Parts: sequence; structure tokens; C-alpha cells
Amino acid sequence: MNAPEPNFHGIAPRTGELARIVRVNEEIKAIVATAFRINLMALNAIFLAKRAGNAALGFGVLSNELRRFAQDLTRHMASLREMTSGSVGSVTGVVQQQRIAAILAEALRLSGDGVPGAREARRRGATRLAEQQVRLRSLDLRLRAAVEETQQLVELGGVLARSAKIEAAYGGSFSAALMQVSTDFAEVIAQIKRSLEVLGKERLVKD
Amino acid sequence: MKQAHCIYQDEDHRWLAIARDTTKPGYIIDTNEYVVIHGEEALLCDPGGIEIFPSVFSALSAECDPTRLAGIFASHQDPDIISSLALWLEFKPDLKCYTSWLWQSFLPHFGGQDSTFVPIPDSGVTIRLDGLELQAIPAHYLHSSGNFHLYDPKAKILFSGDVGAALLPADHNELYVQDFSRHIRHAEGFHKRWMGSDRAKRDWCERVSRLEIDMLVPQHGAIYQGADVQRFINWFAALEVGVLRS
Ligand SMILES: [Fe+2]
Ligand SMILES: [Fe+2]
Repeated sequence: MNAPEPNFHGIAPRTGELARIVRVNEEIKAIVATAFRINLMALNAIFLAKRAGNAALGFGVLSNELRRFAQDLTRHMASLREMTSGSVGSVTGVVQQQRIAAILAEALRLSGDGVPGAREARRRGATRLAEQQVRLRSLDLRLRAAVEETQQLVELGGVLARSAKIEAAYGGSFSAALMQVSTDFAEVIAQIKRSLEVLGKERLVKD
Repeated sequence: MKQAHCIYQDEDHRWLAIARDTTKPGYIIDTNEYVVIHGEEALLCDPGGIEIFPSVFSALSAECDPTRLAGIFASHQDPDIISSLALWLEFKPDLKCYTSWLWQSFLPHFGGQDSTFVPIPDSGVTIRLDGLELQAIPAHYLHSSGNFHLYDPKAKILFSGDVGAALLPADHNELYVQDFSRHIRHAEGFHKRWMGSDRAKRDWCERVSRLEIDMLVPQHGAIYQGADVQRFINWFAALEVGVLRS
């Protein structure tokens, strides 16, 4: 009776890459939904400012700016999303290559040293994996740069929301309503900031 | 661990059977892989699934230089037949995979690219292995709708894929069928359920009876040799197939 050989079931494949992409995608989806909310809130704020008339002229201008901000944010998120959906293919390639390489390595190990063709096969596999990882790394860099750019945009959104709060104080009889709207803005923008922070920490490839 | 057994040798013409894996996980069907070697080239018949690749590869390497592999013969498209394709190609990217034209666009889901596949027409084809002529003979609907067996007229060996398969209990480790009537009990349920066409079966039995066969080597279970070959063909001819329950 042969003793059972240790087999490649024991080799932990480096998974988690796909799970990471899913997390990135989910975070992006959450921001897109929030951006849509800002857009609606800004529209409401514009109407409210119109009703408030002269007392809320500044607030009206800011609401328009916030609306433009929401639209810019949506565009940013769309391009981020495109980037991550493209990376699903690259990540899958790496995961697959890693699995194949692990099983082949086990086969070569079982065959003992000096199997003809073993060295060439190992070298080919390593080259392919390295190529895929380079591609993934550059995707990662692009994604990070895009997130940083979006973070700057959101900073601007934060400034707009704070200014709206100040303007609300001059809203006369509409002051309370305007204050409520600008507080909502500030909260939503803070939420987006948090999401972007999470996004900024995600890496498609482990270093 | 799997081991390669030489079941035929005539100078530089050999058949290896990589059979009976006692250490594979129990939830995976046991498979036999066969290697035909002639001169400087080797052809691997039904290389098996991903899970057993390391043990098939090392068994093969123990008996034959794996860089001599020129091709893979896939009798049909099942995962226990060919899901390891990507791994063999990882070792040797220029391998050719001979399979029914029917599966030409299905098998790339397991690996390989357009240039990997050599589609076999329904009527069969001759596969050349360093001067040796092997015949891919039609066995459609037994069980796959695009299915081939491989006949070596020189060695008088017929590789019969799932035909002749027996699901043997774990303690039946013999390479060759010892007692036909005892053995065939383990083949009955499989053939009744997996083989779908009575017409295809009769046609196959007629054609194969005309071939000179010393050994009928299936993808599961033990090898039929000598008189057991015709015994099997007769048994199969009389068996009612395409039935859900016996
Ligand atoms: Fe099958
Ligand atoms: Fe099978």
C-alpha cells in the first residue's frame, strides 16, 4: 500500500485578488449612488433658493455648483468603474496562471529533479506570470491616480457644502430649510470621502 | 500515486497504461491514461482531469521523456478526459490535441488556442506518430455525440474511452480483467446509463468485431485481453442501453 503523497491541495493558491476587485466595485457603486443623490439634492436646493428669492441668491449659486460637482463625480466614477471591470480580466489571468503554475510545480516535484523540459516550462510560466503582474500593477497605479483625482474633486465639494451652510444663515425665513439642505450636503460628501478613503487603500496586487 | 505499466512493447513501439490511482480523493472518478510511444514521439490518450495531473505527469515522466509528447488524443469532451489540457500545454505549448470537430470550440474552455486543436471528421482519421499509423475510429453516441476510439493495428490495441469502463470497488486493483463474469457486473450499470444509442452500439460492435484486437483498453477499470475482448463485445451487443434504471 502506498502512503498518500502530499498533493497540491495543500498549496494555498493566492486568491483574494478577485474578491478585492469585487470590493472595489462595490465601493464605486456606493459612491455612484451617492453622487446621484447629491444631484437630486442640488436640484431641490436650486428650487428652494428660487423660492427664497433675493435672500438666497448666494445659496442658489452654490446649489448650481454642487449640481455640477455631482455630475463631475458621476463621470469620474464611471471611468473608475471601467478601469476595474477591465482589470477583472487581468486579475483572472493572474489567478489562473498561479493555479496552473502551482499544479505544474507539484507535478515536476513529484517527478523528481531533472525531468527533461522542466526548466523551460518553469521559466515560461514565470515569464508569463511576471508579464501579467506588470500589467496588473500598472492598472493598479492608474486606479490609484484616478482615486486621488476624485478625492481632490470631493475636497472641492466639501468646500461648497461648507459655503452653502454659511449662505443658509442669510436665508431669512428660509434659513432653517436651507440649513437643513446644506447639512445634508455636508453629510453626504463626508460619506463619499470615507468611501474614497477605503477605495484608496485597496490594491489589486499585493506588494 | 499512479504508476505507468508497460502493456505492450516491440522495440521502440510501446503502450503505457497509467492506471488505478489508489491515493486520489474519493470523490473523483478513477481514470486510466494511456501513452503510445513510437520512435521519438509519444501520444497521450485521454490525459484526465486537472486534479490528477501531477500524478499522471510524474507517472508518465518515470517511463518516458515528457518532451517527446507530440499530441493528446481526447476521445470526447468530458472533464475526466481532458480538463487537464491547460496544464499539459503549460508544459509543452506546441502540443496538438486531436478531438472530434464537434468539440473543437468547446475544449478551448479547458485551455489551448485555435492552433492547438486538430479536428477529427465524423468518419475518423489516421494519426501519424513518428511513422506509426494510428486510427481514430468513430464511436459516436457511445456515450458522447462526438466520440472516437484509437486503434493501433500494429500493437492490436484498441483504446475504447468510456466503452468497456467499469466502476470497480476500491479494493479491485488489478490491471487486467481476471474473471470476466465477475468484472462485468461493475460495468453493467455504467453502460446502461451512459451509453445512449442502441443503434450506435450495434454499429460499433460490428465494426470493432472485424478488427484484430489483443487488448481493449478503457478509460475506467481494468483492461480486457485475449478472449475477454470478444466476450466484452458480445456482452455489449446484447446489453440494453439508454435506460435510466435497470
Ligand atoms: Fe465520458
Ligand atoms: Fe470517462
